[in-house]
Amino acid sequence: MKTTFRSIYKLLTLLVLAGWSSASMAHAEVGVVSGLTSGLLHPIFGLDHLLAMVAVGLWGAQLGKPAIYLLPITFPAVMAMGSLLGVAGMPLPYIEFGIALSGLTLGAMIAANTRPALWIATTLVGLFAIFHGHAHGTEMPNATNPLAYGIGFVISTGLLHLAGILIGLLIRWPIGAIAIRASGAVISGFGVFFMVSSFGLAG
Amino acid sequence: MMMLRRRLILPLIVLAVPEVAHAHLVSTRFGEFYSGLLHPLTTLLHIVPWLALAIFASMQGKAFARHTLPLFPLAIGFGVLLGYNLGGYQNVLMLNIISFVVLGGLVALSRQVPGAVGLSAILLFAISHGYSNGDVDLAGGSLTLYTAGVITAAYLVIALGAGAATTLNERAAWGRIAMRALGSWILAAGLIYGGFELMGISGA
Repeated sequence: MKTTFRSIYKLLTLLVLAGWSSASMAHAEVGVVSGLTSGLLHPIFGLDHLLAMVAVGLWGAQLGKPAIYLLPITFPAVMAMGSLLGVAGMPLPYIEFGIALSGLTLGAMIAANTRPALWIATTLVGLFAIFHGHAHGTEMPNATNPLAYGIGFVISTGLLHLAGILIGLLIRWPIGAIAIRASGAVISGFGVFFMVSSFGLAG
Repeated sequence: MMMLRRRLILPLIVLAVPEVAHAHLVSTRFGEFYSGLLHPLTTLLHIVPWLALAIFASMQGKAFARHTLPLFPLAIGFGVLLGYNLGGYQNVLMLNIISFVVLGGLVALSRQVPGAVGLSAILLFAISHGYSNGDVDLAGGSLTLYTAGVITAAYLVIALGAGAATTLNERAAWGRIAMRALGSWILAAGLIYGGFELMGISGA
């Protein structure tokens, strides 16, 4: 009997507490948080973006100083300009092709351990950044907070570069250097797939 | 049975007890201070360039950073008073956007600038950001407390930001590279923001 009372008492207390509750305002500035989250996730959920971003970091690590920091510094700034083209609605031809080409080319560069002059590497990365930026930019005005979305995808892109650089640090070991070149080949392979997809020939 | 009745009454009494909690002093006593403190800290338009400014100050050397410590918050305070009394000039916003791009770019480039030029830039940007923070309706609240809040926020950002950046630069080999990368992110965000304003897209 005592146990039954205790159960009823607990149930009533729970009901009262449940009835007492009001709307939780834990998530302030919903627009900012939502925009930031969308921006952060956009490059991660797009495999074509993700692989190209990691490839930039990997290639930088493979090329060593100063490319290891110049490539990831160049990319976001140029990408921002590309995103503005997208926001402005300025059409960029062969955008999906350009994004696929970035994965293919950067992956091939890593696989072949190509070491071009710094300005060539920077220009190449900057060129691809325009395509990636444009793709992000076209979706930006639909975000709940466009600026937060923009900051989100810039941070996400930077963190993916960082991931590439950290993986690229394996280069100090011979087996690591081989693993990096193999990763480049895999990225390049995906680039081919994305390119075929951009022509509507895959899937 | 008596016990059950007593235990039924207790939750009902509890239900009748609750009142509005005044745990957050936004509407009482030091409310304006907290409003002033949180206004720049919760606005991307202010907090991001302020962070860039702190890193920029640390990159210019400790002596420069020490000069910035009192200069930036005081100039911010002056800007708040200016904005409160002479508010309404939306063109000041352009200076904030320029601060976003210029400070982010300077951090990304990691370039030394002449001390006078650097301090003048900080002074100018501090006044423009202060102005934007001051161009508010306090609804009869205390301007002194609000200004003190904004100044405190500016001091906290510059002191903690510059301190962290200096420590990172001195103790970690990758510190300066990380800060330059962060600068490029801020530059990119500034370009996006500037583009939005030029295209008339709201969202900042």
